[in-house]
Amino acid sequence: MNVPHRQAWLRLLTAAVALCLLSACTSAVGEQARRRSSGEPVDGGTLRVAALTDLIPASVFGQSSNGGNAVIGLVYDSLVEYPHDSLEARPALATSWKVAKDGRSIHLELRDDVRFHDGKPFTSEDVKFSIRTIADPKWAVQLQRTAAAVTGFDTSDPHAITLTFDRPLSNILDLLDIVPIVDKDTFSQVKAGTGYNGTGAFRFDEWKPNSEISFSRNDDYWGGKPHLDGVDVKIVPDPQAQAAGIRSGQYDLLLGATARDAETFSKDPKYEVLDFEGATQQTYVGFNLKNPDLKDVRLRQAVAFAVDRERILDEVYRGEGIAQNLSWSPGSPAYDEKAAHHYDRDVDKARELVDGLGSVASLPLQYIAGDPTAEAVAQIVQANLDDVGITVDLEPVEYAQMYQRLVGADYDGLWIFGHTYAQYTPATLPVSAYPFNAEHNASNFLSPGYAAHADQAWAAAAPDGPKAKRAYAGLNADMVDNVWLTDLVTFWPRLVTTSAIHDIDYTKRTELIARDAWKDQ
Amino acid sequence: MLSYLVRRIPSAVGVLFAASFLIFLMLRLIPGDPVDALAGQDATQESRDAIRADLGLDKPFWSQYVSWLGGLFRLDLGQSYRIGGDVGDLLRNGALNTVVLTVAALLIALVLALVTSLVAVIRDSRWLNAALNAVNTIGLALPTFASGLLLVLVFAVVFPLLPSGGTPPEGYLARPDISVQYLLLPAFCLALPVWAGLSRFLTEALRSQLRQPYITTARAAGVSRTRLVVRHALPNALPSAVTVLGIQVGTLLGGAVLVEQIFTWPGLGSLIELAISGRDYPVVQVLLLLSVAVFVVTQLLTDVLQAWLDPRIRIGGAR
Repeated sequence: MNVPHRQAWLRLLTAAVALCLLSACTSAVGEQARRRSSGEPVDGGTLRVAALTDLIPASVFGQSSNGGNAVIGLVYDSLVEYPHDSLEARPALATSWKVAKDGRSIHLELRDDVRFHDGKPFTSEDVKFSIRTIADPKWAVQLQRTAAAVTGFDTSDPHAITLTFDRPLSNILDLLDIVPIVDKDTFSQVKAGTGYNGTGAFRFDEWKPNSEISFSRNDDYWGGKPHLDGVDVKIVPDPQAQAAGIRSGQYDLLLGATARDAETFSKDPKYEVLDFEGATQQTYVGFNLKNPDLKDVRLRQAVAFAVDRERILDEVYRGEGIAQNLSWSPGSPAYDEKAAHHYDRDVDKARELVDGLGSVASLPLQYIAGDPTAEAVAQIVQANLDDVGITVDLEPVEYAQMYQRLVGADYDGLWIFGHTYAQYTPATLPVSAYPFNAEHNASNFLSPGYAAHADQAWAAAAPDGPKAKRAYAGLNADMVDNVWLTDLVTFWPRLVTTSAIHDIDYTKRTELIARDAWKDQ
Repeated sequence: MLSYLVRRIPSAVGVLFAASFLIFLMLRLIPGDPVDALAGQDATQESRDAIRADLGLDKPFWSQYVSWLGGLFRLDLGQSYRIGGDVGDLLRNGALNTVVLTVAALLIALVLALVTSLVAVIRDSRWLNAALNAVNTIGLALPTFASGLLLVLVFAVVFPLLPSGGTPPEGYLARPDISVQYLLLPAFCLALPVWAGLSRFLTEALRSQLRQPYITTARAAGVSRTRLVVRHALPNALPSAVTVLGIQVGTLLGGAVLVEQIFTWPGLGSLIELAISGRDYPVVQVLLLLSVAVFVVTQLLTDVLQAWLDPRIRIGGAR
């Protein structure tokens, strides 16, 4: 065999040095580093976002994913918008609206200066198509039942629409806040992930599955030209990689920072942590009532009294949230402080309930395998229950199986999972959030009283009127008395950005809004 | 030779058919449903039924299998349920990234192993040997997830010299200087155990060659130690090292799955992880069948090569 002679080695060395010099020409990190702050909003720059989960085109309107939420928030507008801290809807594509006294219709005046990204004017026909799309079960949107209850569309005026319902809908404004206004003519591209034609501040450019989604500024945006040139969303499924990426100047904004990382970043002046308290989510312990032991409400109540919600909030969520056993936040019309803290930790009461039961068999507690948050919560719950004489066996379950068991109402005993939708009109929770669904839920809890209260809440014409409030009081009593699940913590997303990024916003459904955002130059 | 090859092909095709059926069946037997993963927890039964029909999962098992197989024959790999897009496109993009990463890692491992082994044997210094031994041991013992995070911490966070992850934004060819920087950390992380293993083996092989009589003769003729090692010992030590390298390539491909996760490198490893967790049947089926096909083709080529090198195998096969 021939051996490379000295000249060959020299050539190799020269090539290596040349490559090193070439590498030194432009630094990939230098290209990414943020520029100096000027203090005033300025135009230009691309927002570089790290997202944990990619867009899922087949369920872009239904299931929440970081990538999908970025598409909805950046590309589309809705008819009305809720602020973070209340349910007082603000105009968006609809300039004004009026709900009929009987709650069976709503008339909306629409903006007449709006065009889709392809130049097509926005009209009432687009509203009709969008609501009908959401009503299609194929998209599995949480408010599908509400959308399906919209049965009449008067689109005679292109800039106004009257929607009529087959029953009074107290949560109609929730639907109008959630429904993205889509374009009928280009809608076939949505499911393939090849095109998203909206009226929003940013145009969809390209999606590379499992890699990135890119958007560019919509210069003709009806709300004024956005400051940013574009938004690049990179799919970074590991929170640690996200944290390293923002520190190394690769990203401007993290959509998946852990509570611990967010806490660390909040102490560093180079970063900002934004709390979106209106977009609440809940972690809960569920009980399958088909388990013979869990049929006895005293055992469920004992668990609810035994869990140390404050400890879970402090240790797992780093104090950012509310420890309470009901889902409503203090701003909700259904909020009742006494009911929300009915099951504040009381070890003596829990023991008393357990003693009254005689012997309690060991219970399985299932949670998502590989999810550090769920694992930490499960360990605390296990220790808390052990304190009162209830033994639980921790059983991590793969995510897809966890979903299958939830949907099939097929857990072995207890489980830990998350839910949302308590941030909307209270009727939306028992109508649309599966763990609370009065007709069919993961706990196999069925009660004519609860179903009646859910229906009354849904039918109330005024969501904060006396009739509605009576229904909410009934719902709260049902939840406290029957405890088919008990909330542990209400928390909200925490976004981490570099201090060079300003005026980022979020919807109640955690969709990214960047129409006013700007980046230091 | 040709007839030998022709005789082996039917069994290879049979294995592929059997594998396609087993893969298709097994995926449907494991718990978890793509419809649940797609519909989300709050979907109604009506929604689930509509999605199931939309994906064609309401059809009988055999009908689904035949339809998938027919698609494969037409080179239509189908559409991903959950990730979205054409499975062929997903596969091409993922495979390109994985191949670039593994080839870069292989080159790094090869060059480093060659340089360190030659330096260790030529200099033959106690301290140098001890240092290289320590580096080799660390390279072999350190799990990829630990070395990866360490590399990110040092070279991307503490000293922000290189990107912490991702692929070059403008592709590999548009800006080679940028591409090299994106590749360095993940490729080095992947190369580390291969370099350590190969370097250790090559050093020993070189030392063993230096104890051979032909080296003693050359040394007596006044040949310098550098020339002895490079010109005489290395050519004789390389063939066995190549065998070891072949085995290490498997390690490299397996390690790529983890490295892709750590460095957010969208290759086949991260694709299959995503597809399995979302029960994305079309993607998982094709990826598993592809791995079986690679194995079958490799076996076939190995058999053919052996038959070509050793006529006894051909004759035995003819009986």
